[in-house]
This record gives sequence, structure tokens and C-alpha cells, in this order.
Amino acid sequence: MSNATLTLSPWETEVKPTTPLDGHDPSMLISMRNIWKTYQMGTESVHALHGVSFDIPRGEYIAIIGPSGSGKSTLMNLIGCLDTPSQGEYWLNGKNVSEMDDDELARIRNQEVGFVFQTFNLLARATALHNVELPLIYGGIGAAQRHEMAKKALTAVELTDRMMHRPNELSGGQRQRVAIARALVNRPSILLADEPTGALDSHTSNEIMDLFERLHSEGNTIIVVTHEHDIAARAHRVVSIRDGLIEKDERIK
Amino acid sequence: MRLDDIKESALMAIDTLRTNKLRSSLTILGVGVGVLTVIFMVAIIQGLNRAFADQIESLGSNTIFVSKFEPSFGRPPGPDEIHRKDLTMDDVEALRTEAPSIVGVSPIHRMLSATMRYQDKQTDTPILLGVTPYYEFVQTQYVASGRFVNDIDMQDRSNVVILGVDVKQALFPYEDAIDKEVRIEGNPYRVIGVMEPLGNFFGQSRDNSIFIPLTTFDKYYPDRPFPEVVFFVIVRPRSRAFVKPAMDEITDILRRRRRLAPGEPNNFGISSQDSLLDVYNQLTGATALVLTSISFVALMIGGIGVMNIMLVSVTERTKEIGVRKAVGATKLNILSQFLIEAVVLTAIGGVMGLMAGELASLLMNAYSPLPAYVPLWAIGLGVGISGAVGIVFGLWPAWKAARLNPIDALRWE
Repeated sequence: MSNATLTLSPWETEVKPTTPLDGHDPSMLISMRNIWKTYQMGTESVHALHGVSFDIPRGEYIAIIGPSGSGKSTLMNLIGCLDTPSQGEYWLNGKNVSEMDDDELARIRNQEVGFVFQTFNLLARATALHNVELPLIYGGIGAAQRHEMAKKALTAVELTDRMMHRPNELSGGQRQRVAIARALVNRPSILLADEPTGALDSHTSNEIMDLFERLHSEGNTIIVVTHEHDIAARAHRVVSIRDGLIEKDERIK
Repeated sequence: MRLDDIKESALMAIDTLRTNKLRSSLTILGVGVGVLTVIFMVAIIQGLNRAFADQIESLGSNTIFVSKFEPSFGRPPGPDEIHRKDLTMDDVEALRTEAPSIVGVSPIHRMLSATMRYQDKQTDTPILLGVTPYYEFVQTQYVASGRFVNDIDMQDRSNVVILGVDVKQALFPYEDAIDKEVRIEGNPYRVIGVMEPLGNFFGQSRDNSIFIPLTTFDKYYPDRPFPEVVFFVIVRPRSRAFVKPAMDEITDILRRRRRLAPGEPNNFGISSQDSLLDVYNQLTGATALVLTSISFVALMIGGIGVMNIMLVSVTERTKEIGVRKAVGATKLNILSQFLIEAVVLTAIGGVMGLMAGELASLLMNAYSPLPAYVPLWAIGLGVGISGAVGIVFGLWPAWKAARLNPIDALRWE
């Protein structure tokens, strides 16, 4: 962030050819154009992102990688519609998210985004089934259909026999699979995972990453945000973030 | 808001209760005590009102009470009232002859306590009343045995006395009182009758009286000043429907006879049982205000407890709020969830307070002389108030939760 005042960074020239700077691409699931995010820290303005542009087509498996402080978390929050950019346009599934208010963002998150968190973030006192039902409750889906959809999602992550268990009765891997079921239950456009294996041992991590691969092969768009290279290496495309800019954007599979 | 939202919120509330049993119970207790206070205060006021209305009813006919003093309820009259011109027997005569809505007028001289002796027995407490033969009809209290004051007694200023039941019991517990010689304030009298009992008025016996002819009273006590002796007039209207016109007629006659200019205030007091009720209501109005304030303070304390627990609950659930927001909960979703949680808490407290209040008034009825009565609307009031406390005191914490930034909330540990 020290180079926030730079108007042109050396990496921008590499990025430009793949994504045009103006006009979003309607064929893309995600289309970001010249995204800035600026935080006010006292009297100083800190630019967490300065002018990020990229597209993600439907069905892609993409990793966003970068060290801490790179702006990677800020980018993830924007992609996940938890926040809006200070400048620039963000189109998700044909909708301009950059202009939305809090409640519209909540609606978009409910319909378009499935979150998977490092620490699972399940409701501790609710059963796996109820946890998975949560997005459907806010989506306004009736109880009977909700149960059906939640059961199907839990079956998809192979937790059919753990539906009535509470998180503290489940292993870390099982909890993350509940979280993945919750992320998928509403059939969102993107599955957005933030360090999904950060709290898991390597064996379980592999299982979860295998699950992501399977979900991808079933047609889901998956975005994994991580600082671990071997996790990023499981994706088909890796976007590297450094100092608030895209440093590298490469297809690896 | 949909039913599912409410269900989700109620589940969340019950969750809070289950995981924080002690904390929640204390909060519920706080609200419960508040509602209990409200219900109990209402019960006391309503009980008193009902008891008073019953007592007034038990006074019998719809009589009108006239004196030179303003109607009061235990308040001593002011000096200006004491120095007013006395009502006279001429005034009484005018009322009897000139007011068409009136069927009886009973002037009474009253001495608050008189000493009465029979042989070696003595009582100092009876009220001495100088009355006319009209007393029986106007007050609808008749002699049970013997006879009452008649016109000849009045003319002769005879030394005859009729006893109230209490006095009869005190002086003649085992014998007939009729024709016995007694002494009142040292003067000899002959007992000619015993009155029928009147019963109690607010715990005070109304039968501790002795009646002598008004003329005899004047013979012995011509110039006794207030407050030892009071003169007043009881008037009986044709029926309950004539209370108001009778009062108007009496007012007109007395204003004319006392030469009051138009616009000048009355310099005499006139009251009916209804106006007695009014005076009473004024009095209890003040009491009710005090009791209401007490209830309000109790509810405030309960409400602050609710706000406190809700603020703690919001802080503890910051991460959960973040998760809910991440999966699509809107501000309104979060707001209503916490509001409902607060209302569930207070509603439980409200129901408990209601039951405790009902129990307290039952106990009060059973073990104390003060009556208590919980009217049906008080139950609605209790439920309504506890709900309102939940909403009022839950609103700020809920709003705090609703406007949490999801990113910060998710990061919160």
C-alpha cells in the first residue's frame, strides 16, 4: 500500500490485454472494471485496491492468492457483495452490484453467493440441517421445500447421517462440509471460499479440496481466496494480488 | 414479516434462554416484578373502588346531605366554613314545603360523643343525635322495638331516647331496654325504643348512636359550638332519578334564603352518595397516580434489565449476526429477530407477573381487611405492557445489531 500514489504499476500492463478497462463483458458471470477501495484512516486515505479489473466466466475454478495486506480480503469482500467499491463497476450475473444499498446486497448475497469461511461460521446451537436451511429462511422458502433442499445439499456433501448433529458433535472436516452445503443450498452463482482449509489438517484439507473439484466438475463456479500456494494450485486459474493490484493472472489447467 | 421469520426469531430467543438460564431468569424476574406491581396496584385500586361503591350502596336510599360545610372525606373544614351562617329550622321548613322533588327532610343535631349511664354501667362513645320524627323515613332506618320520636315528644321536649343496637348491647346486654331510666350527660331520660341495626361502614359501626328529639337536644345544648355539635340536614328525594333535580332545588332555595348574589359561590355544602363517590374518586385519583408512578418505575427497572441482557446478547452474537447477514439476512430480519427475542423474554415475565399479581390479590383478599380485585382488562394490560417493555427496551439493542457491518461482524471474535 506504500505505492498507493503510483499512477501506473508495472503489472498493470500485463493485465490490460486480457481485460478491457471500460465496459463490462455481459457474457461473463463476474465482470470487474477499475475497482478502487479506499479506507479513511484518520486523516489519511488508504487505498486497499486501486484499479482492479478482471472477468470470471461461468463454471470457472479460480484461486485468488496473495500475502496478507495485499488487498485480497478486500477483493473477496467485494466479490462476495459484503461491501461495495469506492470506485469502479462490479457486475455479478448481469447485475450492477457497485450501486446497491445494504438490503439489496443482502438479497444478492442470498441469491448469488455461497460463502465458505475458514472457521466454518456455523450457528453453534443449531443442527446441521438448520444451519443449511438458514439461507433458505432468508430467501423466503417454505418449510417443507426448505427441508427437502437442505437434505439434498447435505447428501451432496455426504453428510446424510449427520443432519441432526450440532457443530460440536462434528469433526472439522464435517463442519466445513456442512458450511459448503449451506453455501450451495440456494444454488448460488458463485461459491466463494475464504481460506477454506485454514483450520483443517492436511488430510482433511485434501478431502475438502477434492470436494471443491467435484463441485466444479458438476458445473459450479468456485472462487477460493487463499495465501497457500498448494491450495491455489488446485484451481484452474490463479489471480495473484499484491499491493492492491493484480500482479499475475494465469491459467494453470 | 413472514411466519418463518417469527419462528426463526422465537427459536433464537428460546436458544438464548436455554444457554443463559440464570441471566434470562433474572431478566424475566425483573419484568415479572414490574408487571406484578402493575397488576397488584390495579387490583388494590379496583378493590377499593368496588368496596367503596358497595359501602355507599349499603348506606341505603339515595339521600342528599346538606350542611354549611363543604362535602369532605375526613378533611377538617377551613375557618371560613366554620364562620358561615348556620342552617336554620326555617331553611328546613322551606326545603320541605318548596322543593317538589323532595319527599322528606330530616334535620339532625349531632354530638360526636356523649356519656350515657344505666345503673352502674357507662358508655362514653355513642354519637348523640337530635332528630325529628322524619328521621326514620328519610334514612330508611326504623325502630326494631318500642317507638321512635313523635310530634308530642317534639312539642314537650320530652326526655326520651332511642338506642342504637351497639348501645343497647353495651348497657342492656341481658334485659329489655324499653322504659328503663338512663342518664345522658347527667340528664335523666327514658328509653322508648331500640333501632334496627345498620351494620358497618368501612369497618366502623353505624349502630353506636342514641336518638333524642331535636327540641330536647336544643333544650340542653343550645349553643354548643363546632366541632362539638354539628347541624346538618338529610333530604330524601322521590327516587334515584330525582337526586339531581332535588339537589338543584335545594341549591336554589338555600341560595335565595342566604341571599347569595348570582355568580357568588355557595356558602353551604350539598352532596349526594354520587358526589360522595366523586370526592372519593378525587382522593383515589391521587392515590392511583402515586401507585401508577410506582408501577412505572418498577417497569422501567425491568425494562433496563431487558435492555442490558439484549445488549449482551447482541455483543455475544456479533459473529452470528455476521453469518446471518452473509447468507442474506436484511436489516429488518436482524432487527425483528432481536425484538422478538426481547418480547419473548418480557412476555414470559409478563405472564409470570400476572399470575403472581393474581395470587397476591387473592392472598390479600383472604388475609387482610383491604380488598383487591383484578379486573379482566388488567390481564390485557399486563400482557400489553410486558410486550411494550420488550419492544421499547429491545429496540435499541436490536437496531444496534441490525446495522452491524457484516465484514466487521464476521471478523469479531
